[in-house]
Formats: sequence, structure tokens, C-alpha cells
Amino acid sequence: MKEKVKIFLDSDILEKHLLGDTSKEENLKAERYITMYPEVRETYNELQDNLEAFAKIYARKTPEGLKEIILHSARKEQVASKKFFRYAIAASVAIMIFAGSSYFFWNQNKSLQEENTLVTNQMKYLEENMKNQLEDVRNQFIVLNNPDTKRYNVRGKMEAKELKAVAYINPVKKLSYINVSNVPNLPENKCFQMWAEVNGELVNLGVIKQFDDKNKLLALPYAKNAIGYITIEPEGGNTSPTVQNIVANITY
Amino acid sequence: MSTLIEKHIVSLLAEKDDKAISLLYDNYGDTLFGVAYKVVRDEDLAQDVLQESFIKIWKKADSYDASKAKLFTWLFRITRNTAIDKLRSVNNKSDKEVQIDVSDVYNLGVNGIMPDFIDVQDNLEKIEPKYQIVLEALFFQGMTQQEASEELDIPLGTVKSRLKIGLRELGKIYGTTMTILLLIILLP
Repeated sequence: MKEKVKIFLDSDILEKHLLGDTSKEENLKAERYITMYPEVRETYNELQDNLEAFAKIYARKTPEGLKEIILHSARKEQVASKKFFRYAIAASVAIMIFAGSSYFFWNQNKSLQEENTLVTNQMKYLEENMKNQLEDVRNQFIVLNNPDTKRYNVRGKMEAKELKAVAYINPVKKLSYINVSNVPNLPENKCFQMWAEVNGELVNLGVIKQFDDKNKLLALPYAKNAIGYITIEPEGGNTSPTVQNIVANITY
Repeated sequence: MSTLIEKHIVSLLAEKDDKAISLLYDNYGDTLFGVAYKVVRDEDLAQDVLQESFIKIWKKADSYDASKAKLFTWLFRITRNTAIDKLRSVNNKSDKEVQIDVSDVYNLGVNGIMPDFIDVQDNLEKIEPKYQIVLEALFFQGMTQQEASEELDIPLGTVKSRLKIGLRELGKIYGTTMTILLLIILLP
């Protein structure tokens, strides 16, 4: 027999384990030894038999009717636990439904709020856009109808001889517009770009698109003795005008 | 107790079939009642203990592991611990010191003996009192071996050896009786 098995059997752990008096550690140790060593298992089984025999010596007739009481309370216990189980299931289902619907509504509320913000922003943008357009149309109307308005015909030079544009300048209302009516064809990688020199600084007025811009009045920033330029720039426009590519200028 | 009934009860317990309680009561009720009575030494309290123990057994039914302990060992543990707890709570309630009357362990409680399985009265007499006292102190009075040593004024080593020998003696007697019983049954 292994020394440690002997030591274990000599200790009282197994007897304590038999009665359920062991601490957690002792309990684990006892269970381990019982599983691992046949001699411990045998002793344990023997102890169990002896305990039963010993306890039987003291057997005492149970009183009449106690069995019925016990059976009744056991059944009640079972019903109670079944009931509890049922309630627990019902409660869990209810909680799950509640959680699910809460999440659904929260989610819906969130997306509605997002949509609301989007729509509001869109409306603001449209309103702003509309105001600007209306203002633009009003100014165009003023410029075109005002007797003080001067009309300048602009013709292109160099490779843009076919470029035709009309500029309307009203020094009284301080408004200026240009209508580029004919744009010559340019190689694909080139485009026309408009500029205005205002107070010594060149302001980019954008790229003239070939078809869209016909019959459309473009507002020019007004300044006394300002100069407008049209240049040929690489496709997509440039950040500053290429001076040698100036094809038209409008002094107003 | 045949292993077959034991197995049957265990499977009923696992299925939470309340027939298990009835069978347990029929097969172990008297013994467990005896255990409860031995600890609390009061008929009414013992009944309460037995009832509480059976409810615990019923509640814990699915935690019983046959590979860890025999059915009786498991039942005994629950009943014994319930009885010891009961005794403590009763003593606390009545504001009395938890004082185990040592002289009582010498009183072997002859009136409580139920010799319906084997002739236990004879067997009880066959175990020497010195072993019996130790066994009762440890099994029924919830004493640790240290406490038993102090209460009975016996060295700890002696308590240990008397417990071992007592149980072994008991096993021998039990074994012999069973052999005789078997021989009687088997012989034509």
C-alpha cells in the first residue's frame, strides 16, 4: 500500500466524509482518494455499510400518519416548484417581449429622429437655395431692365475667337452679369475659366461648361474699374489664372 | 435493503417521481426517524426533523450522485445534519446553552430500538460500550472527534481508533448475521 494512502486511511478524513462533516478541501481530497485508490474505495464502502447497519440498530417506528403528512408536503413542494417554474418562464417571456419591443421602439425613434433632422436640414438648404436664386433672378431683372445698365460685347482672341459673351454692368445698382453665348470647342483636357479682378485680387468665378451655360447670366462681383478675364485652363479649372492664356477680358 | 429497490428509488428520484418519497419512507423511514430521534431526543422534534429531511431529500433529489455515496449514506447525512441544526435552533430559541449531556450517551436508548431487520438488540450488546459511546457521540451528537475526545475525556488517538474498531466490529457482526440469514434462506 502506498505510504500516502496509509496516511490518508489513518487520518479521520474518510470517517468525517462518511458523515458529511468534511470541509470543502477535505471533501475534494476524500473524493479524489476514493476514485483513485481501490483500497480507499473498499474501506469507504465498508464504512458506508457499517454506518447503515449501525443506524438500523436505532431504527424507531415512525408515528402513524407521518408518512401522509410528508407525502403531502413533498407534493405541495413539487407543485410550488412547478408553479414557480411556470411563473419564471412566463416572466422571462414577458421580459423578453418587453425588452424586444423596447429595443424596437427605441430603434424606430432613433431612425425617425435622424430622418427628422435630415428633412429639416434639407428644408433649410432648399429655402436658402430658393432665396439665393430668387435674389439672383431679381438682380438679373434689375440689370436687364435698368436704363443705367451698360451692355458690353465680349469677343475672344487667340484660339478662342469664336467666344462670344455679353456683359451687363450697372454702376448705379452695383451689379454686373455676363452671358457667355458661344464657346468654341476646346481639346478635351482644356476648359474655359472665368475670373474677376476685384480690388487687386483675382477671384475664381468658375469653369464655363459648354452647353449648360448658354443663355445663362452669371453674376460677376462688382467693383469700380474691375476687370473680368476668361482663360483657357487644364480641365477641371485652375487655382490661379494662366496669364498667357487669357482669351478675353472685360473692363467695367 | 436490496440494491434493486435502491436503484429503482434512485431512478425515481432522478425523474422527480413522488413515488420515490413513498418508497424511501417505507424502506428508510424507521431508520432515519431513529437517527433523528437519537440526535434530538424528543419524539415531536424528531417528527419535524424527519419531515424537513424528506423535503430536503425531495428538493435535492437531482443532486444525488450514486457514484459518490450510497443512497443510505446520502439520506443519513441529510437527516443527521437537519437534526443537528434543529437541535441547535431549539437550544438557541430556548436560550439554553448548547450542552450535550455526556451522561446521556451511556443511556443506550433501549426503548427506541426496533429489531425488525436483524436482531439488533443482540448486536448492540455485542459492541463493547466503549466503542458504542464514541460511535454515538460522533454519529448522533454531531461532535467532531476533537469534541468527543474532550467531552468523553478520552485521548484523540483513542477516539479515532475506537471509531475505526467500533465500525469494524459492527461490520463483522452485521456481516455474520447477514451470512447466517442468507444460509437460512438458501438452505432447503
